[in-house]
Amino acid sequence: MTFIDFINFHIVPGVVLGSIYAVGAIGITMVFGILRFAHLAHGDLATMGAFIALSTMGLFGASPWVGLPVAMIFAAAIAVGIDKTFYDYLRDRPKILTVMASLGVALMLRSVVQVVWGVDSTTYQRGIVRPDEYFGILLRDRELYTLLAVATIVIGLEAFLRKSKWGKAMRAMSDNPDLARLSGVDNRHVTMLTWAIVGALCAAAGFLLGLNNELNSMMGWHLLLPMFAAAILGGVGRVEGALLGGLIVGIAEELSVLILPGQYKAATAFVILLLILLVRPRGLLNGKVL
Amino acid sequence: MSALLSMQAVRGGYGDADILQGVSITVAPREIVVIVGPNGAGKSTAMKAVFGLLHVRGGQILFDGDDITGWAPNRIVKRGVCYVPQVDNVFREMTVHENFEMGAFLRKGDLDAAYDRVYGLFPDLRAKRKALAGDLSGGQRQMVAMGRALMLDPKLLLLDEPTAGLSPKYMEQIFTITRDVRDSGVSIMLVEQHAKQALAFCDRGYVLATGANRHEGTGAALLADREVAQMFLGG
Amino acid sequence: MELIGLANYAIFMGILIGIYALLALGLNIQWGLTGLFNAGIAGFFAVGAYASAIITSPHVAGRVGGFELPIVVGWMGAIVFAGLIAWPIGKVCLRFRSDYLAIATIGVAEIIRLVIKSEDWLTGSSRGITGIPRPFGELDYVASQLAYLGLVIAAVAVVYFLLERQLKSPWGRMMRAIRDNEAAAAAMGKQIEARRLQAFIFGAAVMGLAGALFVHFNRSITPEAIDPMIATFLIWIMLILGGSGNNRGAILGAIVIWLLWSVSEMITDRLPTDVALQAKYIRIFVVGLALQLVLRFRPEGILPEEQARQTAR
Ligand SMILES: Nc1ncnc2c1ncn2[C@@H]1O[C@H](COP(=O)(O)OP(=O)(O)O)[C@@H](O)[C@H]1O
Ligand SMILES: [Mg+2]
Repeated sequence: MTFIDFINFHIVPGVVLGSIYAVGAIGITMVFGILRFAHLAHGDLATMGAFIALSTMGLFGASPWVGLPVAMIFAAAIAVGIDKTFYDYLRDRPKILTVMASLGVALMLRSVVQVVWGVDSTTYQRGIVRPDEYFGILLRDRELYTLLAVATIVIGLEAFLRKSKWGKAMRAMSDNPDLARLSGVDNRHVTMLTWAIVGALCAAAGFLLGLNNELNSMMGWHLLLPMFAAAILGGVGRVEGALLGGLIVGIAEELSVLILPGQYKAATAFVILLLILLVRPRGLLNGKVL
Repeated sequence: MSALLSMQAVRGGYGDADILQGVSITVAPREIVVIVGPNGAGKSTAMKAVFGLLHVRGGQILFDGDDITGWAPNRIVKRGVCYVPQVDNVFREMTVHENFEMGAFLRKGDLDAAYDRVYGLFPDLRAKRKALAGDLSGGQRQMVAMGRALMLDPKLLLLDEPTAGLSPKYMEQIFTITRDVRDSGVSIMLVEQHAKQALAFCDRGYVLATGANRHEGTGAALLADREVAQMFLGG
Repeated sequence: MELIGLANYAIFMGILIGIYALLALGLNIQWGLTGLFNAGIAGFFAVGAYASAIITSPHVAGRVGGFELPIVVGWMGAIVFAGLIAWPIGKVCLRFRSDYLAIATIGVAEIIRLVIKSEDWLTGSSRGITGIPRPFGELDYVASQLAYLGLVIAAVAVVYFLLERQLKSPWGRMMRAIRDNEAAAAAMGKQIEARRLQAFIFGAAVMGLAGALFVHFNRSITPEAIDPMIATFLIWIMLILGGSGNNRGAILGAIVIWLLWSVSEMITDRLPTDVALQAKYIRIFVVGLALQLVLRFRPEGILPEEQARQTAR
């Protein structure tokens, strides 16, 4: 295998997959950091987003990309609604109960997808797409657009968190919740804003995975482990960390086929998760440990 | 001179037990009031009572003409009271300037004057405005914490042991700044471990023990009191 | 005729309820007693099932096994292997809040599922393992079922009494103290980790035993026999509804939830096929919703834990 083949067969798919993981992991790290619990319904919310985009596309008969913003908006609303209905009343009880509630929500979201859209796999677009060559690197259009979309999302989110008043309030809440409250930040607003952003990110992750792979009712559940591995690897609460972690997990999964049978790709994330918890639980960029 | 803050026989605690068993403290406008007392006396708890972080079961807290007993901290902040907790009092992963911005979270309009004021009080921080608060030294971190609280332009500033763990040099500096803040028109309620130094520089002082008032008076009077000296000032 | 059919069905249900009660008791050790969030119950159950199956089943070309060891050895194997899988996971994750354990146990259950599906030499992959001996299998049908029910009840009783004894011992009191008081727990440090690890492994071992009981009852096992999320979830609801921290609550929860689950299955099975599939997923939705409702309106369960508690869990 030449070097360029290695890049094209392992690194390119790894970066594409990893950037999708990153979008999901950023949401996980935000919930972990600001609301302080592991959100187990994250993957199934992504599934829901992917299917909403599918229906939108069917409705307008257009490119799947029109489905992305619609799905992001719907998923944001769903996430806020889920919080109000199922998580909010557990606010003052031990956080682990919210984790449990989120596992129940995962199951509920998935069964809604299964009832509404069925259990069979589907895709946004049929047919084989040939990749184009850019300086020897083979990229399909959808892969290129995926990378662009992820870059846009990450840059936009970073700008929001660094520059805007409410973005700073979210960071403050993640950093020191008591002091944020003493400074007059309303916890409920930050919580709602966080869920809106996280829901939108979920939908984006689900859409991009569906675009580069396929859609089925279990797709999001299988995203859960790599997303958590990425978030913890990068450092809980760190957006840049989740991006880095996502890319590492994605590339590691694509490289794992060199030494492991293909069906164990999914085990890579698990191994990374256990290793990072063992040697550096704060993650690469020194995040939080709950 | 009518009091800005007046706690009258306040009782209350975190759970069912009353930690405060009748605490009365007044702070006049432009006054530095120091609270001293042994560890666990309820000094921090008294301060939290003012800020609405405690379940107050008896007594009254009046501030600037309002009965603020039982108000939520949010509302008290807006009324003009700011609080610097004893620990975890900065946003470590945010820059010095962002800490100040968070301090002004509730404020609308032009903040240039407010920034000028805090950077004027803490000139060392001007050069460090882009540094993460968590990376600063303990003394500078304490200044960031005070600056954050001053951004709202409070009438009353509550400082819980701002000099804990600081070198004497920084302690002097914090006291000097506290006086400057007072001179800019802010009343200050200060909890201190370093009783001797604090009583020497304050306007008036209170000695708390086991959740109740024990002594009160001007700093000089308390320093001269033999009983106070024996109990809290190490002879 | 009707009556005998009904009796047979009752025995069948009794056996499954017993197996679920064991799982709920295992979870009670981890969650109810220690506050550990295991979201991969099905994984430990499957390890127990396959371990005992491999140890006791006859030889098949291309697959490890053919040991045909006594069933008791199979059960021991199930207990040991389930505990062995729990050990490293607990070792890594129990230093942190239980969120991390939840994620890791989801992961380990997923990997166990992958191994079962793809490692032909070990698990027979999709063909599974057949010819697994059943205690009292040589008796005629009703007697054999009844005897097996007796066996399951005995297993539940033994685990129940062991647990009750532990609960009342200093060990049990300490576990509860750890669970209810994070600060005290943190102060006790290393020792707590060891205790938590014991509880996690002990619970997993009980789940492995339940797997073994299941596999010898069915006489065969395939990857489809266990739907990881549903199984895990049902057991969670059993425990929470029954009353976490209370062993009798765990058993009661298993009875109530399994009866509801089976009755609702009978109903959905009678629906015309085109809606039956949807009804199946709606049923799962209801399970998820039921958990939310219990958490909200009856967090202490039907039979609350006996000691008055400071913080409701
Ligand atoms: N968050 C809390 N919850 C319960 N009890 C507390 C809390 N904080 C302090 N206490 C108790 O209140 C008493 C007074 O504490 P504190 O006001 O912090 O004392 P001081 O600041 O004078 O050293 C102590 O007995 C302490 O244990
Ligand atoms: Mg104190």
